[in-house]
Amino acid sequence: MAIQHFTTYPRVLCVSTDVITARLYWSGFPLCVSSPCDSPEQRRSVCSRMGPVELLHMSVFSQSFSPCGRFLAAGNNYGEIALFSLSAALSPEATALSKKAVLTFTAHEGPIFSLLSTDCFLLSTGNGEISAWSWTELIKKNVKPLWTKRPNYKSSLEIPEINSMMIQSRDNSLVIGGGDNNVHILDLEHGVFKSVLQGHSDYVHCVSVRERESEILSGGEDGAVRIWDSRTGQCVHCIEVYKYESCARPQYGKWISCLTTDSDWMLCGGGPSLSLWHLRSLSPTSIFPLTGCQRQATFHQDMILAVGDGAFVSHCLLGGEVKAQIPCSPQSVNTLQLNANSSEHQVLTVGGSSDHIDVFTNLSYRAFSLSF
Amino acid sequence: MTRLGCLPTLNKHRRRKRPFAAAGCFVHFRLFNKVYLAPSDMGAVTDDEVIRKRLLIDGDGAGDDRRINVLLKSFTKWCNSPGTPEEGFTQRMLSTLAQCEFSMGKTLMVYDMNLREMENYEKIYTNIEQNITSAHEKIAECKKEIQRAKRIRKNRQEYDALAKVIQQHPDRHETLKQLEALDKELQQLSHIKENVDDKLELRKKQFHVLLSTIQELQQTLENDEKSDNDDNIQESLAENGE
Repeated sequence: MAIQHFTTYPRVLCVSTDVITARLYWSGFPLCVSSPCDSPEQRRSVCSRMGPVELLHMSVFSQSFSPCGRFLAAGNNYGEIALFSLSAALSPEATALSKKAVLTFTAHEGPIFSLLSTDCFLLSTGNGEISAWSWTELIKKNVKPLWTKRPNYKSSLEIPEINSMMIQSRDNSLVIGGGDNNVHILDLEHGVFKSVLQGHSDYVHCVSVRERESEILSGGEDGAVRIWDSRTGQCVHCIEVYKYESCARPQYGKWISCLTTDSDWMLCGGGPSLSLWHLRSLSPTSIFPLTGCQRQATFHQDMILAVGDGAFVSHCLLGGEVKAQIPCSPQSVNTLQLNANSSEHQVLTVGGSSDHIDVFTNLSYRAFSLSF
Repeated sequence: MTRLGCLPTLNKHRRRKRPFAAAGCFVHFRLFNKVYLAPSDMGAVTDDEVIRKRLLIDGDGAGDDRRINVLLKSFTKWCNSPGTPEEGFTQRMLSTLAQCEFSMGKTLMVYDMNLREMENYEKIYTNIEQNITSAHEKIAECKKEIQRAKRIRKNRQEYDALAKVIQQHPDRHETLKQLEALDKELQQLSHIKENVDDKLELRKKQFHVLLSTIQELQQTLENDEKSDNDDNIQESLAENGE
């Protein structure tokens, strides 16, 4: 079938999706020919050494820190997950080699839009399915997934992608927002899909969870932020952000691409400007004057960190002013993660349309970059 | 330490051939060897040991050692001199002896000073260590403070943001006052309406009374007229019949 990667550089990996054979070439000579790899395990073990063109077109879509805080997993648009050792990269005698991935493997066939870590698992989404990997096994470089599940999609013609996942720790369930306009809830203990929240008229970009009130927030392409009660599955509120004059930016559209909540407050942005909402009164309190569309935002201590279009990380205050914009290497940033699992490796990592992941040890400047 | 003044030249010859590369104070090594024990007397001690020990004892070798040697030489000369020596000789020897004693005293004082300086340094060292630990503690305290301050700032900002939204809505007192005024107006108007209604009723009733009286009167008048007409007709009939 279609050939996925191909370059004319000496090191070439030619992988076909429907694969009959995969060949590794070195300086034009076939190095090894593998047997028919129609099993995902074998496909996973064919770990590619990417040529420069692939690296140029790589985008990092998701990141997640390990529960011990020493490793970072990042997913890219080729369906690969790379594991980086933070303790090696942050140690005083770090070399250029310690800033490369310790393990890279192909996890899915499609881009990995979301990665999530629980106490012992790494959950990844790609090609409409969710796979779980054990962190201890990954650290030992064993790349066999524990399980792979797929939500019940109504249409079997095309497989909708899964854009975002969030854990609801109260009842140990996973909230999934995807391309089929629905929010699915998966019970992690029993492994069954508990319920489907329907209401969006276009695909869901991002989900977030309010623990205290056990509510789920979802933002989508249709510009609506819906607040669902997780117990009854009913849509409690529906906020159409683009209808508020202060936030709306019709030149960008009405879609919501980033959503995060801090129990009483919610940050949402995308087409409309990034805005801070008070959830009790459902009113926008501050609008952040950031150009470009924001793809991820998070609350950190007394600040808001936001990334999106533009090669920088914006630091904003809750009052609505932009305190600083720290430059970083990807031209357009997709994901931002803070390591809260470890006290010694408290770093901020940022990934986007580049094969480099920037690491900020101090929020004010970029310390170094990890590369895929 | 026995002092062998004998065979000085022999030792000198023997020692001159040995190469001594290491220390910079080998100038008076020959003097050392003239005065101190030869290694062969000490048995298995190596040359290096001896060199080291001798350098340690008197590294500079410029003034003190020479003085002692000169003193010893003059003493032996004085002992071995046949007749009475010169007058100044004894004086010179005594003065050299005094100088040696003086330098020894000085060295002892330097040693004392070094010991006291060491103690001082130890004290400063422990002091600095204490300062370091207290600074660490202060840093931890300050970090906690900063976290608290950040939380406070966050709360303040949230409060401000909410206050901004609230300000956009009108004041409650004002609204209540407006409501009261409107209420009063409403009451007044309804009062007036009531009055007008009452008046209307009254007038209606009065008109009703008037009209009914008029009608009755009309009726009565008609009745009267009719009865009058009847009377007239009867009268005319009666006249015609006679």
